[in-house]
Order: sequence, then structure tokens, then C-alpha cells
Amino acid sequence: MRAIDWALLSTFLPLATALLLVLVSPLRRTGLGAGLVSVVSAVATFVGAVMVLASRFGAEAGVVHRTIQWLPHSALGGVAHGRGAIELGVHVDGISATMLVVVTFVALCVQVFSIGYMAEEPKADFGRYFTWQSLFLFAMNSLVIAPNLLQLFLGWELVGLVSYLLIGYWWKKPSAARAALKAFWITKFADMGLLAGLIVLFLATGTFDWTVTTAAAGTVTLLLFVAVMGKSAQFPLHIWLPDAMEGPTPVSALLHAATMVAAGVFLVVRAFPLFEQAPNTLTVMAYVGSFTALFAAVVAVVQTDIKKVLAYSTCSQLGYMVCALGAGSQAAGFFHLTTHAFFKALLFLAAGSLIHGVHSNELSHMGGLLKKMKVTSGAFIIGSLALAGVPGLAGFFSKDLILEEVLHRGLWAPLGALLVAAFLTAFYMGRVMWVALLGEPSEHAKHAHESGPSMLAPLIGLSVLAIGVGYFGGTLSGLYGEPVHFHLSAIGIVATVLGLSGLGISYWMFGAPQGGKAILEAFAPVGRLARSGAVNGFFAWSYRSVMTRVAAAIGWFDRYVIDGLINGIAYGTLEAGSRLRVIQTGRVQDYVYVVVAAMLLIGLYGAFWGR
Amino acid sequence: MSFINDHLLSIIVAAPAVAAVLLLIVDDEARLTMRFISLIGATVSLAGSIQVALTYGMAQGGLQRPEKYPLVPSLGIDLSLAVDGWGVSLLLLTGIIIFAGVWATWTLTDRAREFYILLLLLVSGVLGVFVCQDLFIFFLFYEIAVLPMYLLIGIWGSRGKVAADGPFAFVWKRFDVGGREYAAMKLTLMLLVGSAAILVVIFAMYFSAGGRTFDLTVLGHASYPRQMQLWAFPLLWLGFGSLAGVFPFHTWSPDGHAAAPTAVSMLHAGVLMKLGAFGVIRIGMMMLPEGAAYWAPYVGGVAVINVLYGAISAMSQKDLKYVIAYSSVSHMGVVMLGAATLTVDGWNGAIYQMFAHGMMTGLFFALVGLVYDRAHTRWVPSMGGFAKEMPWVASFFVLACLSSLGLPGLAGFVAEFLVFLGAWQSTHWWWALPGIVGAWVTAVYVLRAVRDIFFGEGPRSKEIHHLHDAHGTEWGALWVLGIGLVVFGSYPRLILDFIHLATNEYLPRVASIAAQLAQAP
Repeated sequence: MRAIDWALLSTFLPLATALLLVLVSPLRRTGLGAGLVSVVSAVATFVGAVMVLASRFGAEAGVVHRTIQWLPHSALGGVAHGRGAIELGVHVDGISATMLVVVTFVALCVQVFSIGYMAEEPKADFGRYFTWQSLFLFAMNSLVIAPNLLQLFLGWELVGLVSYLLIGYWWKKPSAARAALKAFWITKFADMGLLAGLIVLFLATGTFDWTVTTAAAGTVTLLLFVAVMGKSAQFPLHIWLPDAMEGPTPVSALLHAATMVAAGVFLVVRAFPLFEQAPNTLTVMAYVGSFTALFAAVVAVVQTDIKKVLAYSTCSQLGYMVCALGAGSQAAGFFHLTTHAFFKALLFLAAGSLIHGVHSNELSHMGGLLKKMKVTSGAFIIGSLALAGVPGLAGFFSKDLILEEVLHRGLWAPLGALLVAAFLTAFYMGRVMWVALLGEPSEHAKHAHESGPSMLAPLIGLSVLAIGVGYFGGTLSGLYGEPVHFHLSAIGIVATVLGLSGLGISYWMFGAPQGGKAILEAFAPVGRLARSGAVNGFFAWSYRSVMTRVAAAIGWFDRYVIDGLINGIAYGTLEAGSRLRVIQTGRVQDYVYVVVAAMLLIGLYGAFWGR
Repeated sequence: MSFINDHLLSIIVAAPAVAAVLLLIVDDEARLTMRFISLIGATVSLAGSIQVALTYGMAQGGLQRPEKYPLVPSLGIDLSLAVDGWGVSLLLLTGIIIFAGVWATWTLTDRAREFYILLLLLVSGVLGVFVCQDLFIFFLFYEIAVLPMYLLIGIWGSRGKVAADGPFAFVWKRFDVGGREYAAMKLTLMLLVGSAAILVVIFAMYFSAGGRTFDLTVLGHASYPRQMQLWAFPLLWLGFGSLAGVFPFHTWSPDGHAAAPTAVSMLHAGVLMKLGAFGVIRIGMMMLPEGAAYWAPYVGGVAVINVLYGAISAMSQKDLKYVIAYSSVSHMGVVMLGAATLTVDGWNGAIYQMFAHGMMTGLFFALVGLVYDRAHTRWVPSMGGFAKEMPWVASFFVLACLSSLGLPGLAGFVAEFLVFLGAWQSTHWWWALPGIVGAWVTAVYVLRAVRDIFFGEGPRSKEIHHLHDAHGTEWGALWVLGIGLVVFGSYPRLILDFIHLATNEYLPRVASIAAQLAQAP
């Protein structure tokens, strides 16, 4: 089989699995059976992805591009302007091959983990969960192998749908139903930019290819970036991501940390030839990304829910990627996406295992888990250190690369923000580690016990990559461009020092018995502001006080004015009829009076004015 | 077999009417027989439409399977049928909807015979409009499609809550606003006023062309005086447009759809509203291109209002049927917007949106019927947590919602995407923006409805209990329409190739005249 066949397999096998589970209800209702079918399919999908990546090193390493016509030509005024048909297909190159492996590996780990994590769910729900997991793999992979931006958009919307379904997995909980709705609304809001951008691109160039050169690149990329902000949770459209933590933790790991939220970044990586033509968009991206990195890191510090810490951390890291791309480095952004996918999925799954142990998300309900859950804690520590940028682990390499690129471009303000964010990242991860893993065990934590093998195996697998993938930056970036070579630079040393001091200070404040309470109090106002959810409040206000009120006003107007006019005409007709009825008395004399009066009037008119 | 093949279009159009006649002689108690007769009538139409689609010669295109039976030779009125690419797709839509509609009313017991007779007559009218090639007969079919609605709603309808308020509150006391007689009367009167306007233009065209024929092709190639086109087009636009829910003549639609029984809502929103839009394009724009070119900016501007206004109005509704009815107003705006662009993509999108919206709204109303049947209320705030007892209904409802908000992979996306593409390349590129925003507002209100109805712990009203999922024949409509949305959304060329063929044939004449007008000072 050739690369294209493997890529197709990786895309359509999950779809077939999802359809099977949707249509064959008895299989879905077995629960575990559905889970196993889905996992087997995920294994095959992963194998397919690995084969695709392997083909990049083989004899047929060239770009594979194959499409079919999806919508017919728009002929009139179309052919003349070089407008082609709208196509779907497969595009295999270094970027899509790498991304395929990342997606399918994390998905496989998450599915295996879910078998244990979701074991106490009712069987039908368990089956439903795995149906959607399979559907997600299809949607995400069809996005990854997209040969043009249109197919990318199709996959983009489909992963948004699966995200909606999985956030609302516990739909009986009003908070989960609301979170699902919010996630869909916000991302769909941003997607208007993508749709508009695609239309502008198509009308300007006649294709949805990202390789074209066009004068409209500035408009197009800005519109696309709006969608990226929604999907990849950039300020101020990040507000759906923390709420999305209402979904099951493995879902957070796969969709809302490793892959789906990174789709925005992937879009920019994919369409980088277009973005490179628009320096202004890149600058906007650098600033938005770096601000998000800093902002979300600050907010992450004050969260009390372990998943919320990780959610804001995801926002922050996505900010790093966006900033890197804004600095003009496709390789740095994509490399950080890759490393982040592994260590953040690891962190979420480890957090899930901790949550499974103590049956609570709250940090204050944890404590002292290192002794009770050794493997999980070890995995969590590896993930945290990788995220904090400790030398030798994956995050260190990619973060260093980003900082170098930003420095190289002379983007000073973003660089400063990223450095502060690097410090804060280490600080909040340190806080979580000291509080949850060390510290005094709470009531909940006393009965905690280590999770089963189906949950630990994925942790181990991801830990290996969270440590090791950093060393392959050169190889991976060589697949689609100039290979980047890692060398320890001054900025890297600064970031490392900041990161280590973040860890140290957090130990002093949270780990040591009588640490810096005074500092905590000094920063209390910042904490209150960060916890207030002002951005969220703004969106809630604009929905409640603007949108619903406008809707109510228009609804009232339609019902009582427009409709009232129609009813009024009917009423007028009826009233006129009943008033005029009195004229029709039925007495001949009355009619004769009218006839005579009319004749008189006509005669007068003829006599005086008619001449 | 060759008889069937030679008269296939007549058979498709006549089958429901013949079934309706057969129903007259069935015993009152033989409900099952009635259902089967109706189902056979619908199935013949659907199967015939599929056969027409399969055998349509894609290479030559144009009008195919012509049949001509002179009716009034002295006036040039013929029963002349033929099918083009648009006809193929709209026949299919109608066939699918009536097939699903019969399944959706399988359990109806109240005066079932009369109900099915009217329903089937109506469908014959709709099918006739889509394949008829004679203007007079076109109008005849159009009226056959519209009039049974009065009885269908007036007899089998239900009522919604409408409080008296606003500047015209005194009127509310006189009429039973929200009641079924009110809704039926309003709908019929408004549509008849539209019909009167259409009739005037039909005669104007007949005499102006001077050929003593109502043949659409002949009339379509006649050149009418510019002055006449300028006054005639708006009459057609508003006349047909009142059926298509064009603002501000849409207000019959929420009341009408809300009051109508399930299958009637399905047919009415699913295919009947399309007749209006089809009339605007097929008669208005194609016959009177100069008028169309002159008025297109207004048609588009009003369509844009429709899209946004319908969507925002839907947001404020609490009655489930009103939500869906207003969403139809919004989505029909997309059809009119596509038509007004006078571009290939826009017209393709407009016809595709008729198809997609027909399937989607048919599914919506079938589901609303099921929810109403179980909960005995349509008041959204009293519902909640229905997904527990009716998971499949919830799933199909979400599917319909996703199509209506334009999720790729479902039919609605293809249509909206094409229309926006067309709008952006038309003379008014910004028309696409309200369309795109409208799709987002749709996401807001439909998914909010999903949450309020199906998600959460349980019904907010104590009176709702004993819910259960669809069963037996109720599955018919859900699966037929649900699968249709996915299939036609994933591989749109199944239908789009037909549509595109006809668009390519008809549009150039209109577009070139519009282009000339644009260049003239």
C-alpha cells in the first residue's frame, strides 16, 4: 500500500467504525464491546498514520496530492476567471504526516485510557462515548489530510461538532449542557471569519489552495485568523475552553488540549504560504498570541480546579504557538504543537487518573498523592516539567525555539510577555505539583488508590514521548522545510533560569511549611481580578442583555406591528363592511334619494365646471 | 412498459390525485386501507421521480420527456409537461417529503379519509407546478397546491398561545389570533391576494407576447416592453413571494405552520414555500429578465432582511413550532438571496437550498410532531431532559439543527455556501455578510432549543410525563429525511449536477441582460 492508501485508511476506518456503532445499536449498547471495536480501529488508524510518516523517509517521499470533484464548476464568469471545481481529496506531506501521527497516537492513548476511566458509566453511554471518539478521529484526520482549505474547513466544523457532543456528554448536568452550547456558539462565531475568508480567497484566485499568490492575502489571512482565535482559544475568544472542562477528562486531553484546539494553529501552519504574504496579519498574530500566553498564565495561577489550571495552560501554550507563527516561523509553531500535544495530553490523562483516585477536581481535595499513586504522579511530574521547560524534556526544546525566533524578529513586547509567561507556567505547574502530589492529604485523598493498567499504560507511552520527542525537532522540521538545529542560546538560558526559579518560588510558597504567605496576600488583588472572569462576563452580558433583548424586541415587533398591520387590514375591512352595511337599507326610497342626489351633483358639475 | 415510460411525468403528477379519488370509495372504518392507498400514491410519485432522475439525459440537458395534451386550443392552453434539471431535483424533493409525510401521519384517526384526500391533492398540485410547461396550467396547479391548506389547517390544526399586546391589541379581541381558523384564514387570504397579482401578470404576458399561447418556452423567449416588465416583475415577486415568506408578507407562515398538523407543516414548509421561490425564479426572473435585473437589488435587500429578521425573531420564540416556522422564514430568505444574485453559484445555491431546506424542515416538523404528541405541549420552557426517554428523537433533532446552521457534511451547508459564494460575486458583495451572520444566529437559537428541550435533568413542568421514543411507523419519516440530509450533504453532486445543468441553460440570458443594464447609464 502506498502513502495515500494508508492516509485514506486512517481517515475512513474511524468513520466506518463510527457508522457501525451508530447504526448497530446492540453493539453500541454492549458498552465494552463498542469500546474495544473503537480501540482496535484506533490501533489500525495509528498504524496507518505511522506508515504515512514512514513513507516520508522512503523512496516515494514526494508530496502526494489527489482530489475528486465535490461541487461542479461554477461556469458562468467562472471559467473565464480561472475558477475551477471545488475539490476534496488527500494531501500527504511532512506536515500532514507528522500531524496524523500526533493525532492518532494521542487518540489511541486516550481511547485506551477511557476504557478504564469511563468503566463506571452506563453501558449505552459508554458506547455513545466511543462512537463519538471514532467520529472525532475521522473528522480530525480529514482536516489533517486536507488538500485545500475547503476540506480543512469541513473537518474543522466537524471536529467542532464532536467537541460540542463530547463536552455535553453528561447532558443531564445543566452546566455541561451550557458549556457545550457555549463552546459551539463561540467557535461558530469565529468560524464566520473562516467562511468569509474562504469566499474571498476563492473569488480572488479561483481555488482554495494555500499555495497561491494573491493580493487579497491580507484580508483572507485576517479573516482566517479570526477563526483561529476561536478554535485555538486566543484572547478574547478563549472563554469557551475553561468551560469545556465539563466534558470527561480524556476528552479534555484529546480535544481540548492536544488536537482539536490545536487545529487553529494547524490551519496557520498549513496555510503558511498565504500568511507569509501578509506581514500585518503576522504582526497581529504575534501580539495576540503573546498576550494570550501571558494572560492565560496569570489566570491559571489562581485556579483551584486542576482541570481549569490545565485548560488555561493550554490557552497559554497555544498563545506561544500563535506568537511563533506570527514571528514568521512555521517550524517553531508546528514543533511546539507537536511537543505540546504529547505533554499536555499526558498531563490531562494523569490529572484524570488523579481525579479518578480522589473523585474530585479540586486541588484542595488532593494532597499527598505521590505516595498513593506513584505511577500517575510520576507521569504528572514528567508532564509538568516538560511544560515548565526544564532542560532535556520536550517543552524545553520547542519553547526555546519559539523564543529565539521571536527575539530574532525583534518583537520585544511579545518576547517579554512570553518570558514572563514562561516563569508563570513553571510557577503554576509547581503549585499544582506541590499541592496535589505532596502536601497534607485531604479527606478525599486518604482513600485514593492507583488506577488500573489500562489507564497507566497510556500514561507511560505519553511520558516517553513527552521526554523524547524534543530531540526529533530537526528530523521532523526537515520533512517540510529547512531542518532547524537546536543550540543553546542566551535567550534559552534566560528562559530556563526563569522556569527553574518559577518552580523554586512555587515550592517556597506552596511546598514549604511556612512559605511566602505575605507574597500571596500582596498579589491578592491580581488574583481577584483574574478570578473575576471579566471577559466571560462581557460575553454573557452581550448575550443576555443585547442579543436576547434585541431578539425579544424584533419578535414583539413582528408579532404586534407587522402582524398587527395585516390583522389591522383585515379588521379595517370587516369594520368598514359592518359600518357601510347601514347604507344598504333595502328600502327603495333610500336608493331613489341617492340616485336623485347623484344626478343633481353631476348636473351641477356639468353646468359650472364641466365646460 | 413503454406506456409508463412515455407518460411518466403524467403518472407522477396524477398518482397522488388518483389515490385521493380512490380514497373516496374506501369504507370509513378501513383506516389501514386508506393509509396504504395514500402510501402507494406517494410511493409511485417518489419512484417515478427517481426513475426520471436516473434516466435524465445529462449530455443533452434541457427539457426532457415532453408530453402535450391540448386543453383549450382556441386560447392556446395545453396540459404540457416536461422536466429540466431543476424539475428533476424538485420532483425528488416532493416525492421524498410526501413519502415521509404519509409515514408521519400513519396514526392519524380523526377524519383520516378527508385528510389524506386533501393532502394528496395538494401534492399533485406541487408536482404539477415543477414539471408544467404551460403558464396557465402552472397557475392552476399552483392554486391546487395552495387551497387545500385552508381546510387542512382549519379542521386538523391546533392552537398556539398569543397574548394581545401592542398598537393593534384591539384587533386581537376580534380575531382568535393563534387559533386554527384564524391561521387558516390568514394564510389563505394572504396567498390569494398574491395569486391575484400573479394572475394579472400572466394575462399581461399572454397578450403582450401575442402568440395566443401559454407555452412557457414561447413566453420565455418573447421580448416584453421594458415598461411592462418594470411593473410586472414586482407583482410576481410579491405574489409568489408571499408564499415564499418574503418580508413583510411572511406573517401567515409562523401562525400557519404552528397551527397546521404535522404532515401539513412538513409539506407546507418543506415544498409549498418552495413553489413561491420557484415561481419568482421560473416565471419572474426568467420571463421578465429586464424587470428582474432592475429589481434584483430590492429582491436581494429584502432577502437579506428575511435571513436576519427571521433568525432573530426565531430567537425570541418560546413555542417550538414558532421557532421552526421563523427559521423557515430565515432560510427561505437564503433562497431568495441566491436568486437575486443572478449568478450561477447563487442560482444553484437557491435551488439547492430549496431541496436542502425542504428535507431539513420536513424532518424538523416531523420531530416537533413527535415531541408534541408525547409532551402535549409545544412550550419550550416547560420541557427539559427529553433525551433520556427519547434519545433517537433527540439525535435526529440535533441532525436537523446542524443542517440548518450549515454544518458541512449536511445538505444545508452546500446550499448556503453556494449562495454566499454567489452573493459575494454579485453586484452587492456585502449581501453575503448578513447571510453568514444569519447562519450563526441560527446556531444560537436551534442549539439553545436543543438544550432546553432535550438536555438537563428533566421536564421543568410537572405535567409532562410518560415520554417515549419514536416507534413503529414513526421511524419512517425520521430515517428517510435524516439519511437524505447526510447523503445529499456529503455528495451534493447527486442533485447539484441536475440543478447546474438547468442553471447554465437559463441564467446566461438573464445575466447578460442584467449586465447590459448595469452598463447603460
